Amino acid sequence: MMTDKAYDVILNTLTPETTRDDVTLPDLDRKPDPWESSMQATVECLSWRGAWDNLDRRHTEDQLGETIYRDFPVRSRSVVATAHALMDKGVISPDELEAKMEEVRARFNRQ
Amino acid sequence: MTHSHDDHAPIQASEEVSEFEILETAIRELSIEHGLFSREDHRRFSEWAESVGPSGGSKLVAKAWVDPEFKKRLLADGTETCKEVGIDWRDPTGSGTPSDYTYFYVLENTPKVHNVIVCTLCSCYPRPVLGMSPDWYRTPNYRRRLVRWPREVIAEFGLHFPSDVEVRVHDSNQKSRFMVMPMRPEGTEGWSEEQLASIVTRDTMIGVAVPQVDWTATTPPSDNGGTAR
Repeated sequence: MMTDKAYDVILNTLTPETTRDDVTLPDLDRKPDPWESSMQATVECLSWRGAWDNLDRRHTEDQLGETIYRDFPVRSRSVVATAHALMDKGVISPDELEAKMEEVRARFNRQ
Repeated sequence: MTHSHDDHAPIQASEEVSEFEILETAIRELSIEHGLFSREDHRRFSEWAESVGPSGGSKLVAKAWVDPEFKKRLLADGTETCKEVGIDWRDPTGSGTPSDYTYFYVLENTPKVHNVIVCTLCSCYPRPVLGMSPDWYRTPNYRRRLVRWPREVIAEFGLHFPSDVEVRVHDSNQKSRFMVMPMRPEGTEGWSEEQLASIVTRDTMIGVAVPQVDWTATTPPSDNGGTAR
C-alpha cells in the first residue's frame, strides 16, 4: 500500500468547476464526453485482456468513489479508480503517471 | 463548385482540456505501453460501443407489439429470438468481452405488474440491445436503493404507480441480462413499427419510464410539447 501522498497525482485532477454537484439520479443523465467513452473502452480492454476484471473494478469504483474520491463527479469514477488501482498493483508508479500526464498536457496545449 | 465559409461561423477553439481527459489519455497510453492491451483492442471496442444504442431494444419491442407470434418467441427465449433482428448475444462485441456472454430475458409489463432492472453487484446492462448504460444506472445510489425502495426510486424519475400495481425488480448477474417490454400506449393504433419504435426509449426498457405518444428520444422537447423531467 502506498502513502496517501502517492494519490495526490489523482486528487489534484479535481477542480472547483468539476466538483460533484448532482442531487438526484436524473441529474446524472447526460451524454458522455469523448474521453469518458474512451475510458469505458480502456476498462473493457483491461478486463478483456485479464489485467483487471470488470467486477473488481466496479467494486473499487464503489469503494473509492464514496470515500477518498467522494467529491469527484460520478463520470470520473472509472478513470480515478483505474489510476488508483494500477498504482496499487504496481503496474505504474505515481512519478510515471505524473510524467505521462505532463507529457499529455503539453501535447494537448501545444499551439 | 466552390465552397465558402462566409455564411457560417468557424468552429470555435475547443474548451480547455479537463484534467480528467488528461488523466484518461495518460492511463490509456501507459496501459498500452505496459502491454496490458493493444491500441487495436481499444479501437475495436470503441467502434463497437459507438455502433450500439437503444434502437435494437426499441425495434424488438415495436415488433412484439404488432406481431403476437414474435412476442411469444421473444418472451420465451430472448437470446434466440434476438437473432431474428440481427442481434447475436453469443458474440455481441466481436472482441470477446466476457461480461457480454449471457442469457437475455425480456420482461413484459402488464396493467398489474411493472418491471424494472438493476445490477446490485456491479452494473451489468443489456448493452447489445440498449447500448452503453447511463451514469445513474451505474451508481450505488441507484443499485442499492432500487431493490429496497423501488417505488421511491422510480418516483424520482417521475413515475408513480398505485398500490395495486406490483413493482418487480430484476437483478442482473453474470449470466443474465434483462430488458423491460413496456405496455403499448393508447393512441398508437395503426402506427407502423418504425413509429412505435421511436417512442420506446432507453428508460422505458430499463423500467424508469413508460412510453408516451408525444415523447421520443430524438425529438427536442420544444418540438413535441414534452416537458422536462
